[in-house]
Amino acid sequence: MSDLYDAILNGNAPAAAEAARQALEGGAAALELVQGHMVPAMDEVGRRFECEDYFVPELLLAARAMKAALALIRPHLASSGAQPAGRVVIGTVKGDLHDIGKNIVASMLEGGGFEITDLGADVAPEKFVEAVRAHRANLVCLSALLTVTMSSMKTTIDALSAAGLRGQAKIMVGGAPVTQRYADEIGADGYGENAAVAVALARKLCA
Amino acid sequence: MRLKLISCEVLYREMCAAAARSPHQVDIEFLPKGLHNLGGPAMRAWLQDAVDRVDATRYEAVLLGYALCGNGIAGLESHTLPLVIPRAHDCIALLMGGRDRYRSYFENHPGVFFRSTGWLERGEDLEQATLYTLEALTARYGDDNGRYLFEQFNGYQRNYRQLAYIATGLEPDGSFEQRAREEAARRGWQFETICGGLRLFERLVAGDWDENDFLVVPPGWRVKATYDDGVIEKERVA
Repeated sequence: MSDLYDAILNGNAPAAAEAARQALEGGAAALELVQGHMVPAMDEVGRRFECEDYFVPELLLAARAMKAALALIRPHLASSGAQPAGRVVIGTVKGDLHDIGKNIVASMLEGGGFEITDLGADVAPEKFVEAVRAHRANLVCLSALLTVTMSSMKTTIDALSAAGLRGQAKIMVGGAPVTQRYADEIGADGYGENAAVAVALARKLCA
Repeated sequence: MRLKLISCEVLYREMCAAAARSPHQVDIEFLPKGLHNLGGPAMRAWLQDAVDRVDATRYEAVLLGYALCGNGIAGLESHTLPLVIPRAHDCIALLMGGRDRYRSYFENHPGVFFRSTGWLERGEDLEQATLYTLEALTARYGDDNGRYLFEQFNGYQRNYRQLAYIATGLEPDGSFEQRAREEAARRGWQFETICGGLRLFERLVAGDWDENDFLVVPPGWRVKATYDDGVIEKERVA
């Protein structure tokens, strides 16, 4: 499709950065590079992950390449006044230090054109509330890898509700032990079984 | 009573010691610690198979030497004999002697790795992180990307600060504690020894199944994860 598309799909960060640089120098529009090349590349990465052609290492490398290109494209995006697909606050909930899955989802969303505020791991409910307000987020992504910390998802959702932010921001949850049933029980707006699903779900929730 | 105990091998010494002192006859089957790494649904399928293989004419109940274990027992069904399961999130809570103690420790110490006799002597090679060695990753993905992946997969360890050895009093000498202490030093973490206990294991095999600490799942019911203070509950198989 293009050098940029191929470089992301192959997880080649230097090649992705070079392709982005050349395209920008050649007068390509930043938004077109994102929407016409990077988003389709990350969609294809997600598709390959779903059908088990790609595994977690390939996801991480594609995301790395995507970020290398985005670092060059982002300043042009800002000056063109382009709006992100959504403003996302993401983090692993309080008590839980696992962050690989959360990092992959953050990267996939970033590659999908979302603006990401990553709060890291072991994030207290009030930190989520604060960040949603400060960044005017319309999507909150919560991750947990332990059954013992899943209850922190509920306390975080309750804190966002108590702060009156549920009208402003949708909430999606994920992580190995999390299920659709649990997401429904705690009142989340969506559940993503894996990183590839997360992007499609985020688009739906932000539509 | 004659009881069948199906247990994770990580609790080998504790379960053997408890069974030896039980007033009942307890037959034990240990399953590999590696089930923990398969993910919830695959682990449950393996356990269901083990439970269903128990000869219902010879026993009065099937005891499980497991906790919720990352949803590894969620959905497990009782078909012929009641299943008895301690209410806890994982084996660390069992080794500490109960989920309340675990929760209060966990809340004050989020970044802790745990070790016990079983965690030191059984199946360490099965731990996830060792699947992705630096050598394997650079060979497969090239030097730069391989190093990047190694950093990503092991970066979570940056968040840990402490290693805690849970002593249950069964240790023959100080060698287990010493190995844990050396591991902490190697990783640059603080070290602490916590006194655990056999109380839950002994009650499990003694038939002392107080509802607060144990879930009994009768035939026709299955395990449901609740993620609240009780951890698990039973629900009727539809």
